[in-house]
Amino acid sequence: MELSLTDKKKEIDKLINFELKVKKVYESGLIKAPIHLSGGNETHLIKIFSKIKKTDWVFSTWRNHYHALLHGIPEKWLYDEIVDGRSMGIISKKHNFYSSAIVAGILPIALGVAMTNKRNNTDQEVWVFIGDMTYETGVFHEVYKYSKNNKLRMKFVVEDNDLSTNSPTGKTWIKKTKPYKDIIYYKYKRKFPHHGTGNWILF
Amino acid sequence: MGKISETYRGELIRSMEYLAKDKKTIFLGQSVLYSGNAIYNTLETIESSRKIEMPVFEDVQMGLSIGMAMNGYIPVSCYPRFDFLILAMNQLFNHLDKMQFMSKGQFKPRVIIRTSIGSKKPLNGGVQHTQDYTSVFKSISTELDIVLLNKKNEIFPAYKKALTRKDSRSTLLIEHGDYYNKK
Repeated sequence: MELSLTDKKKEIDKLINFELKVKKVYESGLIKAPIHLSGGNETHLIKIFSKIKKTDWVFSTWRNHYHALLHGIPEKWLYDEIVDGRSMGIISKKHNFYSSAIVAGILPIALGVAMTNKRNNTDQEVWVFIGDMTYETGVFHEVYKYSKNNKLRMKFVVEDNDLSTNSPTGKTWIKKTKPYKDIIYYKYKRKFPHHGTGNWILF
Repeated sequence: MGKISETYRGELIRSMEYLAKDKKTIFLGQSVLYSGNAIYNTLETIESSRKIEMPVFEDVQMGLSIGMAMNGYIPVSCYPRFDFLILAMNQLFNHLDKMQFMSKGQFKPRVIIRTSIGSKKPLNGGVQHTQDYTSVFKSISTELDIVLLNKKNEIFPAYKKALTRKDSRSTLLIEHGDYYNKK
């Protein structure tokens, strides 16, 4: 369901403020593991998540804080996980939420969940959020093809910031693959570095 | 269940029939529905509806086996040769082998993985079809249980344990292609 403008603004503020809170604690040196802050894609994600049911599965990457919050994972629980050093692999079975720090790692796992959803005849969708470098991998194309040919309930969302760590996807591949018509593809500019906050921190 | 078979292959068939009695199991891989390797011959008595013939995409096959297990199924994921299982090491060790730890026990996917050390007799498949990587896999696994099936009478108990173990750990069971017809 689409949010009103006021609610959308509140949701954007909630996301941004959460990451600023994580940024602050990270810069205090308390978190002894990498963090990958989200930012710059709030509007895109709020729109996408308005279509995602709470019972749907969501698969995400190392940059998963926004996805987790928008899928209903409580802020406090998420914050505690991040402070405990698990930012890169937020997992909540209760919320059908799984993330991985391995490029393309979530795609085959999501495929397996979608296959069993079909066998169980459920209407649960499996949403997979990947970056533009992952979109270029062979694994993506194997999973995409298999899911389409088997008519599985899977939705692929490509979040294109044209960077993989700091390598520009377009330059490494010379030319990027055009977005398929049946996937969600959006471009955005990364607000924070690949990991960390951009400031020098003494741990 | 049933009487011990006369051959190594017979014990594998008995084990597969035992696994199939659990409605949550599903058999997948290359040559599970169509002939082409020794593992196929041990699955002929399993209903077709319980078998999924996979394309050749080993790492995706391992990942989708994990996903199926996360959603309540028990995949029996078949890799005809150990040499081919190497192509699935990413999903096997970066995901399945770390899943209980990473999820703090929320997800305990039980995947049963079958592979075989390729036979050398009467035809030697060569260095890319006959390797035994058991010790290598054991040296890097944390949650995955790895069992080399050296004797006929080890087969059925090993599969029974893989299916029923309370810790829900996944198990890799390694067969010897050369032992199929041995007593």
